[in-house]
Amino acid sequence: MNLPLLNNLSIYEERVRSLQTNNVLTWCSGCGNYGILNAVTHAMALENIGVEDAILCFDVGCNGNASHNIQAYTIHGLHGRVLSLAAGIKIADPTKTIIAFGGDGATFSEGVNHFVHSVRNNFPIVFIFHNNENYGLTTGQPSATTPCGAKMNAAPDGVSTQPINPLQFALSLNPSFVARTYSGNAQHMTATIQKGMQHKGFAFIEVLQACPTYNKETPDEWYAAHVKDIVEHPNYDNRDIWDARRIVEDLNDTFYIGVLYQNTDLPDFLSVQLSREGKLRLVDEVEHVSINNFY
Amino acid sequence: MKRLCIKIVGASGTGLLSTGDILTRALASLGFNLVSDREFPSLIKGGHSVYTLNVSEDSIYSLSRQADIIVALDKEGMEVYKDHLKDGGILLHAYERFGGIKDLIEEFQSRNVNVISVPGRKTLQEIGANHLMVNVLLIAMLWKVLDYDYEYVEAAIKEKFSSKPKLLEIDLIVLKKGWDLADKKLDFSKPKKPSARRFINGNRAITLGAIHAGCRAYYAYPMSPSSSILTYMAELASKTGMLVKQAEDEITAAQLTIGSMYMGARAMTATSGGGFDLMTESLSLVGMIEVPFVCVIAQRPGPATGLPTWTGQGDFHLAKYAGHGEYARLVIGVSNAQDAFDLIQHAFNYAELYQIPVIVLTDKQIAESLWTIEDFQEKAIPIERGLVSGEGLVSSDRYKITNNGVSKRWIPGDGPAYYFANGDEHLEDGSLTEDAEPAKAMIAKRIRKKESLLQAIEEPVIYGEEIADISFLGWGSSLNVMLDVIADFAERGVKVNYLHYRYLFPLKKGKLNNFFTKNKSVHLIEGNYTGQFGQDIEACGHEFAGKLLKWNGRAFFIEDVIEYIDQNLNKNL
Ligand SMILES: Cc1ncc(C[n+]2csc(CCOP(=O)(O)OP(=O)(O)O)c2C)c(N)n1
Ligand code: SF4
Ligand SMILES: [Mg+2]
Repeated sequence: MNLPLLNNLSIYEERVRSLQTNNVLTWCSGCGNYGILNAVTHAMALENIGVEDAILCFDVGCNGNASHNIQAYTIHGLHGRVLSLAAGIKIADPTKTIIAFGGDGATFSEGVNHFVHSVRNNFPIVFIFHNNENYGLTTGQPSATTPCGAKMNAAPDGVSTQPINPLQFALSLNPSFVARTYSGNAQHMTATIQKGMQHKGFAFIEVLQACPTYNKETPDEWYAAHVKDIVEHPNYDNRDIWDARRIVEDLNDTFYIGVLYQNTDLPDFLSVQLSREGKLRLVDEVEHVSINNFY
Repeated sequence: MKRLCIKIVGASGTGLLSTGDILTRALASLGFNLVSDREFPSLIKGGHSVYTLNVSEDSIYSLSRQADIIVALDKEGMEVYKDHLKDGGILLHAYERFGGIKDLIEEFQSRNVNVISVPGRKTLQEIGANHLMVNVLLIAMLWKVLDYDYEYVEAAIKEKFSSKPKLLEIDLIVLKKGWDLADKKLDFSKPKKPSARRFINGNRAITLGAIHAGCRAYYAYPMSPSSSILTYMAELASKTGMLVKQAEDEITAAQLTIGSMYMGARAMTATSGGGFDLMTESLSLVGMIEVPFVCVIAQRPGPATGLPTWTGQGDFHLAKYAGHGEYARLVIGVSNAQDAFDLIQHAFNYAELYQIPVIVLTDKQIAESLWTIEDFQEKAIPIERGLVSGEGLVSSDRYKITNNGVSKRWIPGDGPAYYFANGDEHLEDGSLTEDAEPAKAMIAKRIRKKESLLQAIEEPVIYGEEIADISFLGWGSSLNVMLDVIADFAERGVKVNYLHYRYLFPLKKGKLNNFFTKNKSVHLIEGNYTGQFGQDIEACGHEFAGKLLKWNGRAFFIEDVIEYIDQNLNKNL
């Protein structure tokens, strides 16, 4: 964490407070989303990201209901489409920090194509992936990350298909930043989101999210007992994609958290657009352009 | 109006396109007004194609079905398109196994067709040229038949092959050979003062219009007949500095566009019906969060994959009704290159001023036909953004309930007055609500924009005289054929007029009553089966005397309308 700022607690607390709204939060009690939203506000405060500096983009799902619970410019789009929407925003104004939020239903079912191509394009946005292993908002149907055999709404005999391993999936796409954290650890979440904000490229952050209502198997306490910080792993090199692929394979016993993989050499989408060299905000360029030489 | 119609026929891959291209250049350089288009099957190679060129000294917008001259690049082309040649017309070909086409040639001769031929392979062999250059041989012969100055066709060939000097050298030899082999056969006078004309197709015109209007990002997924807009945008990007991106699907293209527009840029996407189907949920989002959105639908006949390389006007209802829920939108119909250049600029203005989706309908014929044009006038249409500065505002200004339905829009991040662009129903600052009264008020506010928009858009335009012997009403590419028909019948002393809609929805009704009262025989002309747009006119209580509908993938040829008028005019007398 950013210690110098923490020394000045009153400024910091003021910043956090200035991000909170009076709108009621509608999540179930004990929901991991409270902690995630809190961590995001703290990360913004610590990174000195104010109201005019960021656009927060929400998918549709329990996670997306936070779209009016933070004093920020937010957009709450369609189910599954948040990444492409966020990319369009970033392209128009690269000076803004763009944070996108989406669930496991959004990311690995409805909008999986957008995820694939957002990683490939290395759009410079932060993506906070709320993985509660079910469709919370539509009352607990299985998602592509629900473990095989789990009895769910609409799957009374237990889920019959194999789950997708989100980080393995992401790593197969040659990403530039892959991290994991969990909703039971505010400090770790905040620090991880900050690192995502500092990354130049698509920062994929999986948050293992408690959903006490529909996912009773893995509450925060369960994760607390099963996670291990990657910094404690001996000889781990988070620049080595094969180290990362080995470590994320385990979805049963040990969940490593932290920045599991980062490639700072991979250019982000905006830095490889030849036509945009030396240019910044599309917004500043809207004016009549002579077409005399373009017939 | 005197027009010359030339059709080049043959399989795709026989050099048909470059033949059409060279002749278009050459004829435009003589100063003719020109329209040309290619009909081709949805195959990369094979299948029959025809490239049609119509030229005139007068203004000309549409194509004729019957040709004065057919240039056949192969035997199949001759067979398939034989009925497209007028009796007494000219057939040029270079097929040398005469035994195989004996019956065909006799049939042509019985129709008084002047058949001009050379043994293609043999002639080309003699001068050391490849047999594929038969098209250049025929171009030269055609030019001689028309008795136009050699230098013009030579220049067109030089321009076409300027990047391939070796090939050009042989092509010029072939050209000279063909020229020597033919004689003047047709008297179609060329413009007195040759002055090279610019020509352009609809998709290029849309591209230039959007660029001119300050569009800074273009996102699309390829789909005929919209794809060439993506090609043009990408090719020009190094000069325009635009961000041009091929998206992974149409939903993405729409979402990227929405994101960039929300963020205050001008961005656009284009597709055809099927791709637009995928965008409909995004359209609905735009209706809700009141972000400007511009999408071009280049129509081709559906349903499903339909006729991918053909034309039609079957997607008016798609544009009008797409997306769930109720909200304001604007549907515009484009007709030709000039129109495309103008209307895409207006599309951006209306999208931004009213914070609505604007759907611009074109079709395959508009997208790919070439028209000679005067240079487009720059800055004739101002850029109107309707944006305000975020300073001094409060969050609830963003979706404030107003009389005309339009609230202030400022770029996210511009000032401390943050707001929530919420796809859930919301209050004036965008905070979610499910309460009955605020929801009711907000839905009504958004729909009210339709009424204020209706005040702003242009009434339809009457072409021809106020009162006519027979009248038509339509939209989109129908304008092209109607302009030519009106001129043609005027020469015969028959008055034809046409009420043309550019702004299709919401419907302007100011001229409608008058038009139907003064004109006793108003007919609908529309390129679909059900007369979709006509239904909106009928819903106003007006009755059409008849309907000229066409849904076979082909554009309205001038003969379609002439025959229809000849039949219906007599009926009324
Ligand atoms: C096109 C579309 N299909 C379905 C829905 C209904 N829906 C809303 S949220 C959701 C799934 C949510 O699951 P997830 O993305 O994991 O988010 P969570 O609620 O678990 O946070 C679904 C299916 C929708 N809003 N839009
Ligand atoms: S259903 Fe689960 S994810 Fe949704 S609010 Fe309740 S606890 Fe949170
Ligand atoms: Mg979920």
